[in-house]
Amino acid sequence: MTNARNPPAVSAAVMPITGSQGDERRLARAARRASPDYQKAWFSAPAALLIAGVFIVPLLIVLFQSVTRDSFSLEGYQRILGSTLFWRILQTTLEITVGAVLLSLLLGYPIAYFIAQLRPMQRAIAMIVVLLPFWTSILVKSFAFIVILGERGIVKSMLSQVFGYELATPLMFSRIGVMIGMVHFLIPFCVFPIVNNLLAQPPELRRAALIMGASRRQAFLRVTLPLSLPAMVAGAVMTAVLSIGVFVTPALLGGRRDMMLANLIDYYTREALDWNMAAALSVLLLGVSGSLIWILSTVDSLDRN
Amino acid sequence: MTERISLPLKLLAGAIFLFLLAPSLVVIPMSFSDSREIMFPPRGFSLMLYREYFAGPEWVAATIESTIVAIGATVLSLAAGIPVAYAIARSRLASVRIIRALVLMPMLVPTIVFSLGLYLYFARIGISGSTLALILGHAVHNLPFVTVVAIAGLRQVNPNIEIAAQVLGASTLRIFFSVVVPIIRPSIIAAGLFSFLISFDEVVIAWFLSSPRAMTLPIKMYSSIQWEVSPVLAAISTLLTVLSLVICVIGLALREKEA
Repeated sequence: MTNARNPPAVSAAVMPITGSQGDERRLARAARRASPDYQKAWFSAPAALLIAGVFIVPLLIVLFQSVTRDSFSLEGYQRILGSTLFWRILQTTLEITVGAVLLSLLLGYPIAYFIAQLRPMQRAIAMIVVLLPFWTSILVKSFAFIVILGERGIVKSMLSQVFGYELATPLMFSRIGVMIGMVHFLIPFCVFPIVNNLLAQPPELRRAALIMGASRRQAFLRVTLPLSLPAMVAGAVMTAVLSIGVFVTPALLGGRRDMMLANLIDYYTREALDWNMAAALSVLLLGVSGSLIWILSTVDSLDRN
Repeated sequence: MTERISLPLKLLAGAIFLFLLAPSLVVIPMSFSDSREIMFPPRGFSLMLYREYFAGPEWVAATIESTIVAIGATVLSLAAGIPVAYAIARSRLASVRIIRALVLMPMLVPTIVFSLGLYLYFARIGISGSTLALILGHAVHNLPFVTVVAIAGLRQVNPNIEIAAQVLGASTLRIFFSVVVPIIRPSIIAAGLFSFLISFDEVVIAWFLSSPRAMTLPIKMYSSIQWEVSPVLAAISTLLTVLSLVICVIGLALREKEA
């Protein structure tokens, strides 16, 4: 029985047909239990246990906490939506997110395009250069940017010593510092999908455009770039999701006015000790990033069709 | 796409690569400075900052704590992630598709939200501020990464090998341990290394779950950056960068080998 159902594609196709009534259904269920598909499904048990116990339950507690102040109440949400602090921080979060996403795409695209044109060996080395910041601790990067951008940091002292120019704008503990840190963190997430897309594009399309008399610029703008649009959207949404919940960069590189939603959640949890507000904020943040992911999956399925 | 790359693109790409490498390029020379003043380029050369790191009991304790947490989280996430990757790659049951969505979810939910949940949850069940809490939190955090790497490894394997084992009478469990695991060993090692590194560097979950008796290295670094910007950070950062580079190169090599 089990061996006969071997090619998994066949068993999957057969299953829905059987089991219309009574005995047949019972028989089908027994067959399903004996099938390798069913046995293999059991291998998800440890992960399911871990996810249920240490992921689903905590998220449910957040949901529960967000509507509980001694007893059931929606006061947390009302207070958040009524506070000017929340709207100001939401605005900051969205401004930083939009800016960081656009800048990462703008800087990520040229290196993705460059990497895609390299020979395999060179490409592997270039990829390591992109992967290294991806795998470097966010704290190492933050520390380095403080040294580079600080008041007596590399950029400012070089400007004053080499060009005799005293830059008054604070680069660190300001919006500029947050943006630099964020873009550095996000660029790899844009590069990976775009490189994959460019490598997967049939080279004939571009070659056809060139043979038909297009300049290299035209071939890029009218063939390569439009074809890579889905990868750019994927990169944009991924970086937006990451950026909207970011915590460390604004805390270490930003000033007081660059606080983002995650920092506000931290403030309510650990300083104001108002768990109800923290939880309500978390649910709102989850809603925003959930909608972004939904957009991503829609675009992704459009791309596949 | 093997035409000659235009000069402006080369220059632009070079500048962006320089930006990406800037933190490492600054931190590494600074770590060999012989003064406690933070400056670049450093004068003199010494291993003073490294000595300070290895002689500082708080830094050593935090490093040991991080190592324990990272190993624990890696073992747990491999124990859960490799089998579930097998189920996802080989079983066509509809319920497995739901499991797949659930397992990948920690990657999509903002870490701050998950961290708050863990913070409230572990306070209720009375394990807050313990090493166990950190291990459990990081295990879930790493699970999607481990699973994705393992699925990619399994996709490279010809399923007919498993069918051959089955025809010869091996049970599903036997096939998993004696056929599948040995074949995808490079992926498992890569997944384990990545998981170790993710946990070792993780800040947000640890920020919510650590306590004076269970403080990880990133949390110690975080408060040091916030309050004093100690020059020892340069030495630690260099060591962490080397660790990342080594793991990144081994990971790439393992995946090349498998492909």
